[in-house]
Amino acid sequence: MDHEMVVRDKMTEQYLLDELSPEARSEFEEHFFQCRDCAQDVRAASLFVEQSRQVLGEAADAPTPARQRVPEKQTAGWLAWLRPAFAAPALAALLLVVGYQNLVTLPQMSKAVSNPQVLPWTSVNIGTFAEGSSITVPQGSGFLLFVRIPPDGNYASYQAELYNPAGQKEWSVSIPVVEGRDQWPVQVPAAKREAGSYSLRLRGISSTGQSTDVGHSSFELRVQ
Amino acid sequence: MQFESFDEAYLTRLRAGDFRTEQHFVAYFTALIRIKLRSKLSTREAMEDVRQETFTRFFVALRAGKIQQPDRLGAFVNSMCNNVLMEQYRGGRREAPLDEDEGNEIPSEAVDIIDTLAAKESKEQVRQILDQLSERDRRLLREVFLEERDKDEVCRDFGVDREYLRVLLHRAKKEFKKFYCRSFGDDPPAFATAG
Repeated sequence: MDHEMVVRDKMTEQYLLDELSPEARSEFEEHFFQCRDCAQDVRAASLFVEQSRQVLGEAADAPTPARQRVPEKQTAGWLAWLRPAFAAPALAALLLVVGYQNLVTLPQMSKAVSNPQVLPWTSVNIGTFAEGSSITVPQGSGFLLFVRIPPDGNYASYQAELYNPAGQKEWSVSIPVVEGRDQWPVQVPAAKREAGSYSLRLRGISSTGQSTDVGHSSFELRVQ
Repeated sequence: MQFESFDEAYLTRLRAGDFRTEQHFVAYFTALIRIKLRSKLSTREAMEDVRQETFTRFFVALRAGKIQQPDRLGAFVNSMCNNVLMEQYRGGRREAPLDEDEGNEIPSEAVDIIDTLAAKESKEQVRQILDQLSERDRRLLREVFLEERDKDEVCRDFGVDREYLRVLLHRAKKEFKKFYCRSFGDDPPAFATAG
């Protein structure tokens, strides 16, 4: 059993999924006891599986939140925000924000929209298992994602969601279904972002509004 | 993390009883032996018996000058482990009792606060990777690894084939390996090798 064959046939995964014959299993064990790369691969995969069991088990055991009586104090507290002691500073803060937006933010945005720009871009192929792409963008700059969607769905539309390296959803956007078209350019708004692995998740929306996971793809964002 | 090469110098240090080298050797192959034995033995006790016996025999052979090829250390350990397992299955034990000294040669495995933190960090990384999967894929992995249902049945229920499951695991492992290699390098983390 040579190393190339082990990597090509995903022997580590087959081993952990118990898919190998006893002979192949024995040969693979002999290989990874000798091959340091495969030993590392098997150790990492084994640790992942072991800890996945724990994490998935915790998620399964987590109690569903029961309906709780809202204490009476909280309902009274909601009205407390309308008292002058809170209202005046809140109004002042609001005026400050509105003033800043009108004098600074909106003029900057208007200038950005009216000037032509060449944006960095990368392709994101949903539903395939190709290597993730990477893109380098200046800090605070937007970029384009060319999203390729598998053609075999039967949906009325799609919803694309971008998740940052922390696993938080940044935004979602609706993508129409057009016959004969399987690639869409999605402009990712300019924002201050951290470098790392981002994930674009695609959901198919049926004519009855039902949402189904179609797939996802990751790309590596590098920030200049 | 210092990379240890299984070369002539390593074998010489092992023969000389260098503690750090022995510690590295035992930790490195303990991880692999445990992975190997998980599917073959049902109790922790039985796995620990085989592990201890394997290392005991190895060090006896080493001291007797029977191990000469440093690049075959892994094959030697695997082979010894297979022999011990075979005897375990047959219900037999080695005929000659161990000398007191032989049992004391294996460095003990200690897990300290740093290892506990490393385990926590590793688990958090796994959690993040699982959170990035679709709900469907998470459920698929739960059925396979936590519920331990028959994999063909699970694949049928989810409308996928075994290749899909393999690739799903492959991608998740690949993601996890970035963290694993960065954190632990070439050697297994102590929390993964200790009982």
